[in-house]
Amino acid sequence: MANVVPVDEFATGEWYPGYRPEHFEMPWIVDPASPFRPGDEQGFWFLDFHWSRGLTPLAATLWSGDGYCWGTQHAAESLPLPPGRGVTARFAGTHLYGCALPETDPREIGARANRIATNLPHFLQNYRSIWESGRDELEATWQYFRGVDFAGTPDLSDLLGQGRRYHKRAMEIHFGVMYPMLANFLGFYGACADMGINPNEIGKFLQGEDTKIMETDRELDRLAGRARQLGLADVFETHEPHELRDALARHGGAASTWLTEFDDFLQVYGWRAEATCDVGVPSWIEDNSVALGLVKTFLKRPEDHDFEAAARNALAERDTAIENARSGLTREEQAVFDAGLRSNQEANFPWWQDDHNYYIDLKVMLPLRWGCQELARRQGADHKDDMLYLFWPELMDVAAGRRPYAGELKSLVADRRQYFDHWHAKRGEMPKVLGTIPEAVEDPILIEIFGLNPQSIKAVQNPDAARQTVMSGVAAAKGTARGIARVLQSSDDLHRLEPGSILVCESTSPNWTPAFGKIAGAVCDGGGMLSHAAIVGREYGVPTVTAVGVATLSISDGDEIEVDGTNGTVTILTKAPTTTSGVAETPAGVAG
Amino acid sequence: MSVTDPLGSPEASGSSGTSGTAEPVHSCDAVVWIDEVDPQRAIAAGGSKMGRLAELLQSGVEVPQGFAVTVDAYARHCSESGLDARIDAVIERLGATPSEAEVEEASAAIRAMFRDTPIGEHLTARLTEAYEELCLRAVDVNVPVAVRSSATGEDAADASFAGIFDTYLGVSGIERVLDAVRNCWGSLFTGRALAYRLRRGISHHAMPIAVGVIELIHARASGVAFSVHPVTGKADRIVVETSWGWGEAIVQGLVDPDHVEIGKADGRVLKYDVAHKRIVSAFDFAVGAVTEIDMPAKLADRRVLDDEQIGAICAAVRAIEDHYGHPVDVEWVISRHRRAGDPVCIVQTRPVTVTAAPEEATPAAYDPVALAQKYLFSGKPIPGR
Repeated sequence: MANVVPVDEFATGEWYPGYRPEHFEMPWIVDPASPFRPGDEQGFWFLDFHWSRGLTPLAATLWSGDGYCWGTQHAAESLPLPPGRGVTARFAGTHLYGCALPETDPREIGARANRIATNLPHFLQNYRSIWESGRDELEATWQYFRGVDFAGTPDLSDLLGQGRRYHKRAMEIHFGVMYPMLANFLGFYGACADMGINPNEIGKFLQGEDTKIMETDRELDRLAGRARQLGLADVFETHEPHELRDALARHGGAASTWLTEFDDFLQVYGWRAEATCDVGVPSWIEDNSVALGLVKTFLKRPEDHDFEAAARNALAERDTAIENARSGLTREEQAVFDAGLRSNQEANFPWWQDDHNYYIDLKVMLPLRWGCQELARRQGADHKDDMLYLFWPELMDVAAGRRPYAGELKSLVADRRQYFDHWHAKRGEMPKVLGTIPEAVEDPILIEIFGLNPQSIKAVQNPDAARQTVMSGVAAAKGTARGIARVLQSSDDLHRLEPGSILVCESTSPNWTPAFGKIAGAVCDGGGMLSHAAIVGREYGVPTVTAVGVATLSISDGDEIEVDGTNGTVTILTKAPTTTSGVAETPAGVAG
Repeated sequence: MSVTDPLGSPEASGSSGTSGTAEPVHSCDAVVWIDEVDPQRAIAAGGSKMGRLAELLQSGVEVPQGFAVTVDAYARHCSESGLDARIDAVIERLGATPSEAEVEEASAAIRAMFRDTPIGEHLTARLTEAYEELCLRAVDVNVPVAVRSSATGEDAADASFAGIFDTYLGVSGIERVLDAVRNCWGSLFTGRALAYRLRRGISHHAMPIAVGVIELIHARASGVAFSVHPVTGKADRIVVETSWGWGEAIVQGLVDPDHVEIGKADGRVLKYDVAHKRIVSAFDFAVGAVTEIDMPAKLADRRVLDDEQIGAICAAVRAIEDHYGHPVDVEWVISRHRRAGDPVCIVQTRPVTVTAAPEEATPAAYDPVALAQKYLFSGKPIPGR
């Protein structure tokens, strides 16, 4: 019998102060997003690690509705996935839970299987032009927004609407590419495993291709080198990230030169937020401290990270892995392997999974954010982010001048900020899964991105998770490391990592990459062979275990732990002497 | 190949007991040599195991020297010694649906009869003559031999019969050979074989047994080899399992053997897993037989086969599969005297009944749709996760 975790606690009908169901009204395809509703325990809900801060009213509704639900369901229906109709979303407080939507009608499944039999080969044959034309379309829209004078636009309603459509269209393209690439990759993965290839090797076959995110890291490292060259290492050493911009400006001279170069860098690489599709999070241009903090981190490394050597090593490791795998295959199997490898090198999912963040996830919410901030300025709001605490219909009313911000809405925003902070502090206690727990899932995104394999699904149901000392997950990057665990809720906490720390978190994303230059090991609740932590862990030689399920529950900040990235196990060696719950409860580094 | 299937046509040999007595004994009827018998009638006379060795020899495969004590010799022994009547009486008493214990009791009684009933003078003379000839051919005194049951229909009829009948390795001297022959005859009446025939309503007269007496190859290493994967049925590879010494410990599952997989198309070794081999079948000179003893520590973890030997085994397996036109498993031996380039010696072969399930077979081409269906949309976890 399936294990059912009730959702009643979160399906009270209560949500953000002043919330009304029509705030969530928007077009939907298979299942609309909403707060948890009675009856939702029939689905299998997993806490989505991408938004560990929680989401503001605007971020929650637009992302879940236009992005998460619309994007995945649109793609799953048009490819289509035979047994699945995409993913839907619910909120427990500010926290997003996802649930795959199964197709259960056998006749429909058969009809959908026939359609994907035509559409998947067509996609793979035309992958490059499909992805590049989608990317170029989005870049063209992006350039349009860069040219818009937000301050000089009298009525912001249209611009806000355009920003919303840009995000929604981006998610159609995003998932329209992601689902078929994943289907191809996971089919190849299954075939490799079935042919006796060690699954830990499969991720290596496709590594080593340069991405925009790796390019950004190299540029940051170059800036760190420049800072050292210009004698600015001390300034970075003695100031916290949020003080650095002013400190460098005060320093003058060489520092001014450096800041000019830094600003040039930002114009190319700085249009990226610290989180995926979260309108509530600033870009590096809006908040320099993130990028400056990364430069500071790079400067702490004893010697320059040799990116070229790392890239060469990754390629050599790839070639060795491919050669080793081929040598154990019969000639017939080699023919299948070679063709599958070619197909996956052409439509390289691990590469895309990193590269697309630059074009989509990290910047697609920025035009909407600019519009909201301009509106906040005009309304004389207390904080530039106040509009992000409105729901879309409220925002439209304010933008069109139909309703004043001052008064009722302003007071609601204050209440909603409290609500956000309340749930932010509760993140660590949120159940990892809710509803009816299956033994295995079939949606490729759930399998690959969320690491929902039979073992991790079992792990998150363990009632003794908080007391266990040995955990297992996906052996993502080889090697063994011991160190003090730093359990981080989001990238806001990155400053708490010290050289030699073991990073423990729900998951990482591209803005966590530089941290891998100083940590000794990494443990993630989610992810798989190809999640960000796995790829970067391999690249930086940091022993990494992903898809542990409950690492952030079982491991306390300050515990001494051992990460065995070769065998996929994590062991708590010594519990932290006193309770460190104070650390976990303090929402470190929350803006506002 | 013409495979006689006595289980399928019991009437064919149901009268052999009576017709045999009407004719005078002829040496050709009691003994056939592997290298002299007409392969067309080898299985009928010498049983499937010995008959196949004769077929292999004809097709150019290296097999040991030896002869079969024929089906006729067995039938004549049973008839002339009065065993037939006594066996029939025991089986009649069993009825159609005896208990397991009753079957085991009958089995023990019949096997004891075989042990205690001497072989007639004439047949003893024939066997002694043949054994002496084998000694002469091997240029040895009291040459050690393998005495193997070679039932008619043993392999062809039902895979579950494989290995059910007795084999004695390292039997030396005519008295011991005669004892071993009688024990092999008796093994036609093991509890399992009796129960099988009762269940199927088959008379034991319908599946008489022959016995092979073949020169014992002094094994440095032995093993089994399959021309397809024995579990998945994948036809693109040869699978070899091997250990030091004789193959009994492997066949009986007493030792965890080295496991080798070879690509059939190009003969490349795909993988070689060296096992920790605890037991070895070795010749015990005190007992005068091959017995199972602890593997010497220094051999236990050593890789058994080199690439040249693997190549020779594969060449034989491919030749045998080509000869029969269907997948086979073989038991092979590498003699102490074998030099690089020599063929390996094949001591047994059988058809393999396992066929690749469609989903197990290596796909002919990379088909992303089929693979996504198989691994992603099947409702089963993806392998390796």
